[in-house]
Amino acid sequence: MPRVQREAKVTWDGNLARGRGSITAGTGAFDDLTYSLATRVEQSAGKTSPEELLAAAHAACYAMSLAGELTIAGSAPEHLDVTATVTLDEVEDGSHRIVASDVVARARVPGIDESELQRVADTANRGCTFSALINASGRVTVHATLEGGTDGH
Amino acid sequence: MATDRKAQVTWEGDLMSGKGRIETVTSGAVGGLDVSWAARTEEPGDMTSPEELIAAAHASCFSMAFSSGLAKAGHSPERLQTSATVTFQPGEGITKVGLEVVGRVPGMDEAQFEQLAEEAKENCPVSKALAGVPEIDLTARLDH
Repeated sequence: MPRVQREAKVTWDGNLARGRGSITAGTGAFDDLTYSLATRVEQSAGKTSPEELLAAAHAACYAMSLAGELTIAGSAPEHLDVTATVTLDEVEDGSHRIVASDVVARARVPGIDESELQRVADTANRGCTFSALINASGRVTVHATLEGGTDGH
Repeated sequence: MATDRKAQVTWEGDLMSGKGRIETVTSGAVGGLDVSWAARTEEPGDMTSPEELIAAAHASCFSMAFSSGLAKAGHSPERLQTSATVTFQPGEGITKVGLEVVGRVPGMDEAQFEQLAEEAKENCPVSKALAGVPEIDLTARLDH
């Protein structure tokens, strides 16, 4: 399969403390998303941040990976609900690090039991390119439940 | 203090013919963004993808870190224009990120600008999270 390229552009005006930036997607799917230091590390006040965009990337990447692995296992999902929560924290030297991404998946899948879902959810995590990256510098957790299953809601 | 940012995605159907949507994020700044495997790996149309979101995350993180480094060196930027291009090889993963930055920075010389850009590339949190990417390229130049 040929390689794929995706691009985004950012304009930043001013210094870190008082400056602000604007983020635009190459596809135009989103544009002129403004952000600042305050909205990144304090209250978001309706503004996105690098970590929020990573959370969206990870949730979308994991959802596709899980759909693929479930299909390979013989049970295409009817519906998946996936959240990813990315945590930025200050580390010992005072710098900031992305320390974790926690994925929670609820799956409506015909003809699969809880233990099979767990096995497939782990495989999907290993197969999600972004899980592998985050795992190299932080921690990825995956919690998967079947909708209507013993651990579901 | 730790900061959490969350995103919620739904998916229906198998990978190849199914479709997904980035429904909501913590801030509410984006929502209702459709995604699919075809749009991710072939012509995107106007649909975003994990790789585009990673490009947006990296460009925005790098720009902040670079503005900080420039200000610490006594040269607050007037404007930084950054692009990030993420290369994805299906079956292999993200193989490359290309960062390009053009800066308008009063009183700055080209060599120091490049040096500080390199430091921002090494140290911004998203760069560290992407440390496993085989190649992260940087081109930095001043807009005179």
